Amino acid sequence: MNTKITFLTQLQILTKRLILRVVRRPLAELPNIFISAFFLFVYDGALGGVFGGSAAGTPFDFANGNFVNFILPVSIVSASVSGGASGIYLVEDIESGVFKRYQSMPISKWAIILAPMLVGALRVLIQASLIMIIGKIIGADPAVGSIGFLMVLSIAFLWGMGFAGYSVAAGVRSGSSQGAQAASFLFFPALFLAPTFVPREALRGWLSTASAYNPTTYVIEAMRAIMVEGWLNDVIFKGYLAAGTFAILTLTFAVLSARKATEKA
Amino acid sequence: MLAVEVKNIKKTFQSKQATVEAVKDVSFEVRKGEIFGLLGPNGAGKSTTILMLTTLLQVTGGSAKILGYDVSSQDKLVREKIGVALQDTGIDNLLTARELFFTTARLWGYSKEDSINRTNELLELVGLTEASERRVKTYSGGMKRRLDLGLSLVHSPEVLFLDEPTTGLDPGSRRVLWEEIKRLRDGGVTVILTTQYLEEADELADRIAIIDNGLVVAEGTSDELKASIGGDVITFAFDSDSDLKLALNVITEGVQDKNLIRITVEDGARKIPQYVNQLTEKNIEISSVSASKPTLDDVFLKVTGYRLEGSDNKETNVEKVED
Repeated sequence: MNTKITFLTQLQILTKRLILRVVRRPLAELPNIFISAFFLFVYDGALGGVFGGSAAGTPFDFANGNFVNFILPVSIVSASVSGGASGIYLVEDIESGVFKRYQSMPISKWAIILAPMLVGALRVLIQASLIMIIGKIIGADPAVGSIGFLMVLSIAFLWGMGFAGYSVAAGVRSGSSQGAQAASFLFFPALFLAPTFVPREALRGWLSTASAYNPTTYVIEAMRAIMVEGWLNDVIFKGYLAAGTFAILTLTFAVLSARKATEKA
Repeated sequence: MLAVEVKNIKKTFQSKQATVEAVKDVSFEVRKGEIFGLLGPNGAGKSTTILMLTTLLQVTGGSAKILGYDVSSQDKLVREKIGVALQDTGIDNLLTARELFFTTARLWGYSKEDSINRTNELLELVGLTEASERRVKTYSGGMKRRLDLGLSLVHSPEVLFLDEPTTGLDPGSRRVLWEEIKRLRDGGVTVILTTQYLEEADELADRIAIIDNGLVVAEGTSDELKASIGGDVITFAFDSDSDLKLALNVITEGVQDKNLIRITVEDGARKIPQYVNQLTEKNIEISSVSASKPTLDDVFLKVTGYRLEGSDNKETNVEKVED
């Protein structure tokens, strides 16, 4: 016989359904992993020779002899944009009418909205971990020790949740998958208006100014401190703060947007 | 207790550009264990009415109760009692029917073991056991509708809302679904369905409300509605527009429908010669004339002033007189 189930059970069932959807479309996961790994290999191959071990003792020695440590954060930040899929999952359910079916059942609307965000978070963790494993294989070695991998992963998670929130809000407001995919358009300027290839001190003119206002800068710098410099607590703190603030702001935006969308007309 | 009690409900949508009264004033009652059909064309307000009754839309005015629970103030209780299969079918195409039934049963609070049993029961009920391991995207339209119907039955609802359940289906699939809906009614489920097919309303619904332009314009059993017209329907057909226009001046009480004029009279077959004489005296050429018992189509024409798009002019006791 059926009985009332808790919010957490509802969330678990809905999340499991979405994970099944992700598993059924494995090819959809490949592009983002591929681009992130591509960044790692190409940038290491193209720039590692100049800024890597051979740069020791020169003004270009900002990677402390290990360019993989320096460039890995760029790939991790790229992988974390996979959280943007959350909005797409939600909009697909709205477009297909599945969302309306759940609304006609005695299920918490927050469970319906939170489930895609959780799957987005899981996606960020898996993709960032895979990139980190690739990085480790080709020589990444955090300056703060192995715990550095977990620290970088946690910043990536917060950053990815930021994209998840943004995509959910954009998706719900636009009511289309294209709207949700707009998260990826935000990503590229955010990534390249930052100290992507060289430290911020080496940037000049407008790019130097733009990067100071770009939260991606602080995320990358915190990851780099962990990987290259060591315990630069204030830099690491700023990274967590930037990623955490981005996540809180966009998730709040997502919740407000979703509340409006689920209100009865 | 009534299964559904709708009193003067209204729904108004307001936007910056305009205010639209989708449902102006709809009232009806549905007894437990009957199939109630809301018949009307697209845009009549049928789906909006269903969305309000299933708690998915706020009621602007009036009130509605499902099994005694108010749809506005007791929406959670209403949702526990009803099953809903809407027009824009909410089915996850990437999952299999078995996965969908199991997930839905779990969400309704069944244990894992009970969910497995309920899944098997429902797959059997809607005839999808053999296809149960296939992803839904490989299903035909008819299979999807049956799955949709099955998903709305997982928690054994007392009242079932079906919004145009057979739209787009081929006649064979439509008939299969009709039989399933009748079986549910025979099992004690109250069914409220919307349709734009006269034949469907005639065949399935124990009682029918015709909705037009946000209003209930007629209500009753199919026989009651047909009897309300009284007598027989004589249908005159004309090849030329000029003859049609002239004929309208002769048969002043007739209703025009494309190139036809219909008139409802007692003892229609006997009166045909009288009308034919009046028309031929005016040199009006009739291409054909027939008398028939009123159909739901005639009822619809009488109460709305137009025919339902796509409805067939199915006549019984057709008697054609070629001029």
